[in-house]
Amino acid sequence: MSGRPAVLLSAVAVLLAACGPTRLHVPGALSPTPKPGAEPSLQAGFARVDITPPPGVGLAGNGPEGAEARGYRLRLYARVLVLADGGGNRLALVVADLPLSSALLHRRVAELTRRTDGIGADRLVIAVTHTHAGPGHFFEAAGYNDQGSSVVGFDPVMVDSLTARIARAIHAAVADLRPARVAWGSRAVWGATRIRSLPAMLRNIPLPSAPADAPTGLPQEYRLVDPELAMLRVDQRDPASGAFRPAGAFSIFAMHGTGNAPSNDLLDADIHGLVERRLERHIDRDGGFVPRAVYLFANGAEGDVSPAWPPQSRCDVPTLTTLPALDGPFTRTLWQWRLPTATHLASCQHAARQAIAIIGKNVGDSAVALFDALGAVLSDRLEMGRAFATLSLRDSARALGICPEPAVGMSTLVGADDAHTRVQGWRLFGVCDIGLEQGSPNPDVPGCQAHKRKLLDGWFGDLPNRLSVSGTLPSYAQVTVLRLGSRVIGAVPGEVTTTAGSRMREQMLASARKAGLPVSAALILGHADGYMEYITTAEEYTAQYYEGASTLYGPGEAAMFGRTLARLAASLSAGDSLPAAAAPPLELVVGHQRHVVPRNSSTRVPPPRIERVWCSADTLYAWLQLGAAGEWPVSTGDVAAGPRVEVVVDDPTRAVVSWDDDPALELRLRSRHGGLGWWELRWSGASGRTYRVRIPGVVDSDPVSCSTP
Amino acid sequence: MLYVLLCLTAAQFSARTDLSAGGRYVWHGISRAAGLVAQPSLAVGLRIHRFSLESGAVLHYELDRVSAGELSETGAGGRQLGEEDFWGRASLLVGPTRLNAGVVRYGFRGDPSTGGLGPARNTTEVYAALSISSSYLNPSLEAWWDVERVRGAFLHAAFDLPVLGWPFPPYAFAFVQGDMGLNVGQGPNPARPGELANFAGRGITHIGLGVGADVRARRVSGIGWATLAFGVRSQLNLDDATRVNGTGRNRDFLAWLWTGITVVVGGEARERR
Repeated sequence: MSGRPAVLLSAVAVLLAACGPTRLHVPGALSPTPKPGAEPSLQAGFARVDITPPPGVGLAGNGPEGAEARGYRLRLYARVLVLADGGGNRLALVVADLPLSSALLHRRVAELTRRTDGIGADRLVIAVTHTHAGPGHFFEAAGYNDQGSSVVGFDPVMVDSLTARIARAIHAAVADLRPARVAWGSRAVWGATRIRSLPAMLRNIPLPSAPADAPTGLPQEYRLVDPELAMLRVDQRDPASGAFRPAGAFSIFAMHGTGNAPSNDLLDADIHGLVERRLERHIDRDGGFVPRAVYLFANGAEGDVSPAWPPQSRCDVPTLTTLPALDGPFTRTLWQWRLPTATHLASCQHAARQAIAIIGKNVGDSAVALFDALGAVLSDRLEMGRAFATLSLRDSARALGICPEPAVGMSTLVGADDAHTRVQGWRLFGVCDIGLEQGSPNPDVPGCQAHKRKLLDGWFGDLPNRLSVSGTLPSYAQVTVLRLGSRVIGAVPGEVTTTAGSRMREQMLASARKAGLPVSAALILGHADGYMEYITTAEEYTAQYYEGASTLYGPGEAAMFGRTLARLAASLSAGDSLPAAAAPPLELVVGHQRHVVPRNSSTRVPPPRIERVWCSADTLYAWLQLGAAGEWPVSTGDVAAGPRVEVVVDDPTRAVVSWDDDPALELRLRSRHGGLGWWELRWSGASGRTYRVRIPGVVDSDPVSCSTP
Repeated sequence: MLYVLLCLTAAQFSARTDLSAGGRYVWHGISRAAGLVAQPSLAVGLRIHRFSLESGAVLHYELDRVSAGELSETGAGGRQLGEEDFWGRASLLVGPTRLNAGVVRYGFRGDPSTGGLGPARNTTEVYAALSISSSYLNPSLEAWWDVERVRGAFLHAAFDLPVLGWPFPPYAFAFVQGDMGLNVGQGPNPARPGELANFAGRGITHIGLGVGADVRARRVSGIGWATLAFGVRSQLNLDDATRVNGTGRNRDFLAWLWTGITVVVGGEARERR
């Protein structure tokens, strides 16, 4: 090839490569063979790390309706429990206040902790609470980074920051390992959750039935949930006194992290954050800003389970309309997505906050009751085992019994009942139904993904999916089965529906028992170690509700996971290292790399200050200058020793009534002027008294009187 | 006085500037330039609740050098400003319906001696319009009245129909546009034969159809946004005046490409998404 064309082609190739999605090669990171420890008995260690990013990131989970984060309400934490036995076996459980789990994050953390603590990918489970008020940009598949929220893109800084923080917390939990006593138990929590896709669930054969203890007065969608709140209570030996004291717990409960309305623009730990704090402050009643107790509140088979939010807590979505101004006689019409009114948004977000408080208290109280009840049955015995596999979904589709080409159905684009997107109900030219609605099956289409109505498949077959969708979806599933005493836990990288989860539990339990393990129950831990959207039963898949449309590899997925979990439950082991085939390298396409997480732009940060404070009705406002614009709330260390800002009563006691980890207090970034963060504080707990806003150790504001409305 | 002050505090200011380019300049269905044209425009508006006052100007530059007999406002040899229009209007929003009433002053800068349109063609039109906004069909009906040179009415019906709205940034929209003109009084007037006429006869003047796409190129939160648009328009010419495509040349059907950049600040464009 001669000079100029070659240069031109090379330039085009470089340009295309630069504009194309980022590809990553992620190594295996399995654990080394454990070395027997000096301590012969069961040990447990806890840790917590603040993972609240700065404003500017996208709040993932609600697709296009996910807002850009303007600040935060309840801080986001990753909580860690490490369990170790006398044989040197260690298992690390992480539950992070994040929207989706990520195989990339899991492998990156494992790569660090396998060296520092002997905890590789097979001994590490990173699950997430699925709060839809958490950041994106760290996922394993392009589709979730580029379409997870209204702020698009993959940001390596987010991956690196989360990796370092979580790995550091695991290391801290290992350092915290102490002799422990544990107890498993469970309790039914009714009325806090409901089945959101009931018609799909009712397609299952046999028809699902409510547990015998379901309250009779509840509607069907409330009675058909799995109400089990399972808990492993952990007490640690106090090194000073030698006595065992309550230290924390690990729980699984099936409930979407969707208490917040999709239009929420604050980072927030949602209902799960309230439940976590409720038990932590119950255990550690005298704790400061961050309690010593740690409660890992993980998600179960919540694929079709919503929190019991009221309809008025869901905001209207933006509508496609013309811009009604300045289109003069000879200028063209401009189009826009018009937001609902500010009044409407404030009203539905307020309703959502109320629902979060009620549900959080309901579930939190149940957790407290269960925790207290388990104090009577603590034991220092907890047999541990683990099995781990990485499924290459595309390459091994035939062997796994799934479709080789992942696809999303049209109902996925519509969003779930918790958060419909702006395209719900859209018809081409207002007339032609293109399937943008819940329950939109396509029964006439042959092939592996039959019933799934795909983008423009009526006109172009599978071509649009192959060209623009399939490549953005995940290619791997990491599956872990843990044995923790009398329970086997199947950790699955997705959102398993209630019925699919029930079937998987049965298969896993039968298999474990057949292998001779004395286990009494099986649990599904969803949102763990990766994300491949939903996992429905084959019957539910035919309804093509949101969950079925989002079952990427077709109707065989639930059965595939059931078989895999059963196989792993029969091969649980401890004290060994797994073959490299269990964790082959992952080749990931993570989407378009963008500079999303703000970088610090100011090297000289003046001391924080309070500009003004005022009250309006029951809300206290303050304008503050706090740190650099791109600063993480906790930039060094694991957790903040104290709050960044407090509200105190203006009397001699100076009692603290709120701080920046309170559901009633919002910190919202107003501007980044001069590289500094200029914030607005809103606290909606004022009750006719006089208050001051305090930046601890720096300054108290002038008093401000808040009259009772 | 207090009421006026209160209204002014609720007023929203907005401004918009466009730079459009197209393969043809068509006004009321009549082709006025057949080469490449550039049309910069500026508009400002003040909205108080549902009522707004808006004003603007649009310039029409011909970018091709024109030969004798070719369709042009500037005339042969031109590559210059052919027309400048100024407009003002009042607008009332009632739910999804918008009522407009306004005036447009047309000024021509061409050289009549080389086939262009000169100041003798300057004129003024008043108009009233009704448009309805919905997620699908956005119809509008306009009634124009030339009050100076032509003295007669022209009706214009149009619709915009979105085909697709891409929900992720950068937001993109695809749409279909159609329009139709109906001359009811801007044809030759037998009672005043010296008066100018825009059309050859009464009735439907043209039927147009186009498709386009609009991409939100840049948004600055709290200030406004910029869009990049492009599309193709076509037109079936039914009146002899709309068929004219140069001296002695007629065309029944036209198609041309267009593109444009628009920057909007203030008003609804300040919204965060």
